Amino acid sequence: MSYEAIALLMFAGMMVMLLTGARVFSGIGFIAVVAALLLWGDGGSNIAFTSTIKLMNWYPMLTLPMFVWMGYVMSEARLADDLYKMFHVWFGPVPGGLAIGTILLMVLVSAMNGLSVAGLAIGATIALPELLKRGYDKRMVTGIIQGGSSLGILVPPSVVLVLYAMIARQPVGHLWLAGIFPGLLMAGLFLLYVVVRCGLNPKLGPPLPPEEVAAITWAERLRLLQAGILPLVIFASMMGPFLLGYVSLVESSVVGATIATLVALVKGRLNKQVFENCMVNTLGVSCMFMWILLAALAFGAVFDGLGAVKAIEAFFLNDLGMTRWQIMLMMMLSFLILGIFLDDTAMLVIVAPLYIPLVRALDFDLIWFGVLYTITCQVAYITPPFGYNLFLMRAMAPNEVSLGDIYRSIIPIVAIMVLTLGIIMAFPQIALWLPQQVYGR
Amino acid sequence: MPGFLVAYVHGVEALNRFVGRCAMYLLFVLAGVLLWSAFTKAFFRPALWTQEMAQFTMVGYFVLGGAYSLILGANVRMDLLYSRWSVRKRAAVDCVTVFALIGFLVVLLWGGIDSTLYAFEVGERSRTVWRPYMAPVKIVICVGVFLMLLQSIAFLIRDIAILRGREI
Repeated sequence: MSYEAIALLMFAGMMVMLLTGARVFSGIGFIAVVAALLLWGDGGSNIAFTSTIKLMNWYPMLTLPMFVWMGYVMSEARLADDLYKMFHVWFGPVPGGLAIGTILLMVLVSAMNGLSVAGLAIGATIALPELLKRGYDKRMVTGIIQGGSSLGILVPPSVVLVLYAMIARQPVGHLWLAGIFPGLLMAGLFLLYVVVRCGLNPKLGPPLPPEEVAAITWAERLRLLQAGILPLVIFASMMGPFLLGYVSLVESSVVGATIATLVALVKGRLNKQVFENCMVNTLGVSCMFMWILLAALAFGAVFDGLGAVKAIEAFFLNDLGMTRWQIMLMMMLSFLILGIFLDDTAMLVIVAPLYIPLVRALDFDLIWFGVLYTITCQVAYITPPFGYNLFLMRAMAPNEVSLGDIYRSIIPIVAIMVLTLGIIMAFPQIALWLPQQVYGR
Repeated sequence: MPGFLVAYVHGVEALNRFVGRCAMYLLFVLAGVLLWSAFTKAFFRPALWTQEMAQFTMVGYFVLGGAYSLILGANVRMDLLYSRWSVRKRAAVDCVTVFALIGFLVVLLWGGIDSTLYAFEVGERSRTVWRPYMAPVKIVICVGVFLMLLQSIAFLIRDIAILRGREI
């Protein structure tokens, strides 16, 4: 059997395993070890264990439990409550102001943790009920919270970029810095969307009534501004020493997690139940990611061993006579389509061994591609049928928001994400300028 | 189900719960090691042992916690079809697919034991300045994978019990 046929068979086998609803890591790992044993006999038996050691030796992986922990502490201990109140008071008086405030809140939460779950929990439980009470259009705000929370994986710190870095063998620092401007660009487009829609139709986002605004004293407003200090302190204490080179990426994540924990302690919000939830969830999420990565590394190792990528590259470049940009466009398109149907971890695992070597062979920048990949993941997060955010939103949102509302709410948001994707493909410098400035590549 | 199988399921799950809950606290060990590393780097000479110690701790965290995470149901499944099935149908499919989990873990354990024996034979040390012995962490991996294996068999027994109409 030719190597291409084996590769194809491996992918097909994996898809079947995934469709049965088996645990994702077991499906991928099983196909990997069976293929290894069939191809290389006894010699192939080490492949899973070797992947474990490879995973262990990959130092930035240690940031994962820290960021997960931090996200849970922030959402479970409700550290963002005051932050929300601050935006509420300061932006409430303009049309659509609370939605604008919510987007800014999401950006700040994203800058403090590396997954989208914390942002979504904060958005759906703190901001959403308030926005609905104020008569905001439920579809507009549900979409914004979902889109905004997905910024968590694009704005540093980002767990998804850490995973990508592992598979693409790229420095995490570069990737994180590359995520900043695209993240801000996307947040800016969300803001623009809200401002334009509420400007055209103020009923979608009524401003706070003047008497209520008058009732808020300036002392109160200034007091609430203090809430804004927390994210700045956490972000600065994480990114500052890291960018200045005093500590490694991993150590900076621990500093961030420690500060978040201390703040929760000082505010008296870290009670027994919160602590238990944070501990168990952190273990669960970390194990999920680590085991999927382990299986993916084994799968990738078999795939590398087959050398199938060379054949695929030759197929596109020579047989189909496509240019590298055409291939890139096709990859992003197939990525988006896959993203709609698969969840992000499955996507990374399936696509990584195939696309990343191809991107490298075509001489594109892998840092830039990492940003594109992450935006596609964001789309994957919020599109049915596998959007984590969709399910979480359903579980956390007030009852008046139906699943149909949630599905319809994401259409403009996905459009904005695809627009951002297009802009960054056309102008790679948006992503690459900052890392080049800092690291002088 | 025969009594000894029920006892097996309860025994294994109690054990894994205990081991997993202990492993859970390795998070703080990890944080402690890394904070110490940042501290010494900032004020004294950087400590040699912290990076590897942290890596070993992380392995302990997700490998020894692995079986507990299985019990918690934290490992994602693609639930396009799965979420629409009845409990019985899920149990029936799981009875088959659990062998993928078992197969993967067996090969992982096989490689792990090979590698651990090798580590003992040659007294393998890490090729870093600190030069820690590699056998202990490899033993930890083998133990964790073995516990996960026991847990997957417990899942199989549970699923068969569901199919026979008497849930454990």
